[in-house]
Formats: sequence, structure tokens, C-alpha cells
Amino acid sequence: MRRIGRVAASCAALFCLAAAPADSPVNVPEPEGLYAGPPKGYTPPTLTGAAVVDAASVAALMAGPDKPVLIDVAAPDRKPSNFPAGRLWLPVHPSVPGAVWMPEAGAEPLAPEREALFYQRVAELTGGDKAKPVIVFCHVECWGSWNAAKRLVRKGYTGVRWFPEGVEGWQEKNETANLRVDPAWKAASETQAGR
Amino acid sequence: MTFRIGQTLSSLALGLALATTALTPAVWAAGASDTDQERAARWQEIAKSIFGDRQIAPTDSLVKIDAPVRALDAALVPITLTMPNDGQIKAVSLIIDDNPAPYAAKFEFGPAADPTELKLRVRVNNYTDMHAVVETQDGKLYEAKQFVKASGGCSAPMGMSDEEAMKGMGDMRMKFAETGPGKPVEATLMVRHPNFSGMQMNQVSRDYTPARYIDKLTVSAGDQTVFTLTGDISIASNPVINFAFKPDGKPIQVAASDNQGGRWQHSFNPPAPTN
Repeated sequence: MRRIGRVAASCAALFCLAAAPADSPVNVPEPEGLYAGPPKGYTPPTLTGAAVVDAASVAALMAGPDKPVLIDVAAPDRKPSNFPAGRLWLPVHPSVPGAVWMPEAGAEPLAPEREALFYQRVAELTGGDKAKPVIVFCHVECWGSWNAAKRLVRKGYTGVRWFPEGVEGWQEKNETANLRVDPAWKAASETQAGR
Repeated sequence: MTFRIGQTLSSLALGLALATTALTPAVWAAGASDTDQERAARWQEIAKSIFGDRQIAPTDSLVKIDAPVRALDAALVPITLTMPNDGQIKAVSLIIDDNPAPYAAKFEFGPAADPTELKLRVRVNNYTDMHAVVETQDGKLYEAKQFVKASGGCSAPMGMSDEEAMKGMGDMRMKFAETGPGKPVEATLMVRHPNFSGMQMNQVSRDYTPARYIDKLTVSAGDQTVFTLTGDISIASNPVINFAFKPDGKPIQVAASDNQGGRWQHSFNPPAPTN
């Protein structure tokens, strides 16, 4: 709770609440399109065209017969640009076991080739079944998963579940697994960085 | 793990109905061991990169970590390290395994130190094991472990502008606890410094505040060192360190530096012992 207070306090201090999609943290309306504001902040309680699920529902889906595709779009830990060369830097990304990690696939704007790759990867992961359950998440109070889920709804996926509590909600009662970035997503990032 | 299996077995003894329900967590526990193995493997990797091939033996007497199992604020997690005060502890390292920069702090004790109880506040980024590793005077290493539930502490913004956070940077205060003659004195050092982790984003500009943290802090009692702290981005903003020292009537000197060239020095007079 302190963390929520902290974010709210920082927003208030920086007068950024006016830029947020709503005045009230508990009733943030859905934006018209994708959300292009600060990636961390209060999110709406809904996502039209997708179901909103909690950790228990995610666990139930995972235990059920129709295994969901789990997509984690959380940003990786960012190494400080001035972090001393000699110090130990060993970031780790605990997440829902079995999830596919495509960092920042919920960014807005997103480069067209990244967006295309995101759709391609989801098509591969769902085996082209647009009704397959797809669970999209990142962290709590993170717009990335909202945007990524919205992208899939727009693309015609009908089984989209948005899991707003993200890994923080999951780890309360469930075991996590440390993920590596999806190889295809990583390869594309490196190609882009190398250009 | 052993504990959970033990629970299951005792439930079995209680009766079939209970045993059936108890089996569910046992199945779940089989999955959990993956996580435990993952944590153990990570600790091996970290320990090797910090201590090389040196052996680290488990201990429950040479160092103990007290931390809240569930932290109220991941950016401000209070840690207490307890060690024996018989001169055998040379240094203690605090490692927060699942922080991106796991090596949070190293305290090297000098002749004026009383390492009985050392407190500091740290940032915790993920549910994690924490390790305290002590080095004894004979050069041996011993470890203690504690699991902490907190997340997001390294990137949590301070709730104020960078300028405001840096106001009075390097200011220090020290409080002394009452003491009797010849007894170690407990002291609390408070340093004003944002200790920016470099992972905190300004939500408006979306720029990251560059890392600026205390990398070295030495406390001395007269000419004798109490401890030298090597710090990192995992130490919470506005560091507060509780420690104890052997007084010799001389002032306590604190010298601190940060990774951006900041240098500060302060002197404090401990109270005269009361009879």
C-alpha cells in the first residue's frame, strides 16, 4: 500500500495527475485507443473485449484443459547508465511459470516491425486459434499489459484475459519462474539495436 | 520443503479425510522445489562471483538476519544483522539475491567496532533470499539466509523531484543511546542522500535519474575505525545505520563519498558515560 501511496504522492508532487486518464485512482476510464501516457500508473478496471482476471483465475485456467498462452510484457530491469563496471549486475525476471516474455510489447508508440512481430509471435503461440485463451500481464499498475491486451482484442482475438495484478498478484500465492526474453523477440531487439 | 512434507505426514496420521486435503499442497510443493532449486543455483552463481571458490559454511551463531517476512515498503526494508562481540568477526556482506545489483553492502569492522547489532535499510526488488556472509579473523566465511517478500523497491520513485531529494545532500546526524561506563555505545547515523538507484524513472519526463549512491562510508572513534561500509544502489534513500562502538572519549568521525564524486565529513561528540 505504501508503494501505491508513493506513486500517488510522486504524481501529485509532479502535477502529473492531470495528465493521467482520470482524477480518481479507483475509477480510471478506458482511453479511446492505446494509452501513450507514463507506463506506470493506475489502470482502468476494465478492458472492452477482454476479460479481467485475478491470480486465482489465472491459476485455474492454467490447471484447466484448454491451456492458456501466457504473455508477460514487463520491461526488463534497466541497468543504470553510470553503473560501475566492477559491480555485480545480475538482473532476474521472476514471472508466471511458462509465460513468454516479450518486454515492452505494450509500449505506445511501438515500432511497426515490433508490433508485427508481436502479432506473429502470438499467432504462433496460439496456433492461429483466435479463440484460444491468452493471458496478458506485466506488473501491478503497469499500462503495458493493458495496451498489449488491447492490441490483441483489436486483432480479433476473442479469448484475451488481462491480468492487471501481474507478477505481484501472482507471487502472493504461487511459485514463480525466472524467465528469459522470448528468443525471437530478443533477436529482433538486437537486430534493431545493431542498426 | 521438509517442513511441508512433515506437515503432510502428520496430517495423514490424523485421518484419511485430512490426508486427502493435505496431499494437494504436497503436489504443489513438488513444483515449489523448482523455485527453491532456482534460488539455490542463483546463490551459487552470486557467491562465486563475489567470493570466488572460497567455501562458505552455514551458521546460526556467527550471523543472523532479521528482516520482515513481508515488507511494508519495498524501498525501505529494515534489516538487522546480529553477530557475536568477541572480536572474531572481520567483515559482513549483505546480499539481496534477486536484486539486479545483489551485492548490497559490505561492512569491514575495525578495532573500535562492536558488531553485536547492525541495522540498515535496503531496497528489495523481488521476492528474494537474502544472505549475510561473515568473514572471521581466520579468513573463513559463514552464511545465514532469510527470505523476504517485497518487490519493486529498486525502481520505486522517491515521491519528490530530484532537486528536492538532493537538498542538503551529505548532511548527517547521529544519535547516541544512553550507556554505562566501559560499555559499548549504540549509535544511529542518519545521512541525507537520495541514494538514487539509477532505476527510478521520472514519470513526467520519462528519464531515468542517474545512479547516485554512497559507495564508501567510514566511521571512526578517535583514531580507531569502527567500520567501513562499501555501499550500492540497494541501500535505501537517506541511509540510516545503527551500530555500536567502543568509546574512548574521542569524537566520532564519519567520512562518506558517493559514486559521483561527492565527499562529506562530519564529527560527533558522544555523550560522556553516566554512572
